Amino acid sequence: MRVLLVEDDRELARRIAEFLRSERYAVDIARNGEDGQHLGETERYDAAVLDLGLPKVRGADVLRAWRASGRNFPVLILTAHDGWSEKVEGFKAGADDYLTKPFRVEELVMRLRALVRRAAGHADARIVCGPLTFDAQLGTFELEGLPLRVTALEWRVLSCLMLRKEVIVDRAELIERVYEGDAEVDSNSLEVIVARIRRKIGRAMIETVRGRGYRLTAGKT
Amino acid sequence: MRLAPASLGGRLFLVATILIVAALAGAGAITGLILYRFIQGQVDQRLDTEIAAVLAALVVAPDNRLALTRQIEAPPFDRPGTGWYFEVFDGESRIRSASLGAADLRPPPPPPWSLDWLNRPTGGDGPGPGHQPLHFRARSVALGDHTVMIVATAPRAAIWRPLFDALSPVLIALAIAGVALILAMLLQVRLGLRPLQALRAAVADVRAGRRQRVPANQPSEIAPLVDELNSLIADNAEGLARARRHVSNLAHGLKTPLASLAVALDERGRDPGGELHELIDQMDRRIRHHLGRARAAALHGPARAQTPLVGRVGDLLAIVPKVHPSKTLAVTTDIAPQVAVACEAQDLDEMLGNLVDNAAKWATSRLHISAQVTGGEVAIVIEDDGPGLTDDKVPEVLRPGQKLDESSPGYGFGLPITRELAELYGGGLELGRSDLGGVKATLTLPAAR
Repeated sequence: MRVLLVEDDRELARRIAEFLRSERYAVDIARNGEDGQHLGETERYDAAVLDLGLPKVRGADVLRAWRASGRNFPVLILTAHDGWSEKVEGFKAGADDYLTKPFRVEELVMRLRALVRRAAGHADARIVCGPLTFDAQLGTFELEGLPLRVTALEWRVLSCLMLRKEVIVDRAELIERVYEGDAEVDSNSLEVIVARIRRKIGRAMIETVRGRGYRLTAGKT
Repeated sequence: MRLAPASLGGRLFLVATILIVAALAGAGAITGLILYRFIQGQVDQRLDTEIAAVLAALVVAPDNRLALTRQIEAPPFDRPGTGWYFEVFDGESRIRSASLGAADLRPPPPPPWSLDWLNRPTGGDGPGPGHQPLHFRARSVALGDHTVMIVATAPRAAIWRPLFDALSPVLIALAIAGVALILAMLLQVRLGLRPLQALRAAVADVRAGRRQRVPANQPSEIAPLVDELNSLIADNAEGLARARRHVSNLAHGLKTPLASLAVALDERGRDPGGELHELIDQMDRRIRHHLGRARAAALHGPARAQTPLVGRVGDLLAIVPKVHPSKTLAVTTDIAPQVAVACEAQDLDEMLGNLVDNAAKWATSRLHISAQVTGGEVAIVIEDDGPGLTDDKVPEVLRPGQKLDESSPGYGFGLPITRELAELYGGGLELGRSDLGGVKATLTLPAAR
């Protein structure tokens, strides 16, 4: 799970990113509208947190540019001006949710999870795939009713596969959704992570589709 | 003491009337004087002819008395009391016209500028027999060793009567001209001042929000005033926008660090009891409350805006599913497309946003928004089928800084600001029970004219 955070306030951006990372998200930070627009248009994200009051390019314009270029990842807008006109403008530009500053960062995470889950087409917070259950709202995995402990990288890979269970997830896409933009990516590391997950949940649950990617399956189909 | 009337029309009328009357009176007086001189000249000529006739017939008789050689008393010098008299005397003897009878004429002394050396008669006015006002001509001539004074008179009426006869149609014509001029001037004042009345109406339109600015195509005399007025209106609007921008910047400036603080407090173990978060919430509430007030206070200028209701409601309803994704609400509206309120769009968004958001938050399955125009007001009714509010809770949620339900932030908070804004626009907010079962919020705002 990879999130784009566009926020010009250095301190706030750092703290939000820190919290999101502690919740095992990969986070890219853009500190102005221009960079944010560029990243959103060129990289693959599961969701974006976008401040509306940005230098250079306004938040709403960034959002419009994303939507115009076909980027449809869910976007949560942050606004300091808690006026409805700005919210309306944000939603019209294509936002999916908003938070008014100041906010509880737990609230931000909850909303992001809900956005990502709904964007993947899951109405229910609990996603079940055979013995494995993912609570998309709490971000926790259970295997046969017992909590499953996973590292951050494992969590990102597994949650991606879980949200699109029974569907082949492209390898390149998976890598993009797992690593932060400036991370050094070893070509083998994804295989290593998948192998570790397989050891935890059972080899059969993750299928390798040669030349394409991976598929999480309950094995019944 | 002020004599000049306070109205421009009054001033123009007064000045023009005085000038017209003075000009016509002057014209009348000059005409009268010319006529008087002309008629008097005619009379003088007649008297001088009589004097010449008397002189031609005058001889000194052998008894050393004056005598006339022939009868020269042609009418009207033969009828008594007419005022047409002559008299000749040399100190000892007198000859009188038949009209004079036995009376004596006492000619007034010749004026000092009388041109005696031209050997022409001198003139003057004075009383005659029986105090009849007479016009005199007198000439003194030497006849042998006699110095003879010949005096001829005409009644003053012989001058005045034809003068009046000639002058009265002139005066009537002048009076008619005067009345016509005053009427024309009244019309001119009215027409001339019409642009000022149009300007006043235009300014009233700007105030009421029917126009953005005063039309610039004005007569050249008031065009500079209109330009200044438009600049003033623009400055005013800009000042309002700037004040709002500053307030908005202040919000941004305060809230971003506050957001950082809130996020920092969320780091593990920093605020286990939540007291610090409670303080941040309190600060946030106060900032929002006072910013709302400051924004609303910027409204004290003239309300110029006209905002169509349907569009704003539509925009707000469009975001309801996004803000409350877990709900499937059947939203119905009953708002005529032409309904508009005299509110800034931003403020209308603020009021409606809070109300729609609250209704959506509490609604179970239905949301209904309707608007009715009565008199100069629009009543916007927002109803939901949620749990509703008991009567005793209503004042509580309208009190600033109250949160009725801590677990669902926002409820009750936007309502005091909504009410405050509505009241600043001369409207109001009432909460009651809806037929749908939940809250019925009635927002009253002035209708755009």
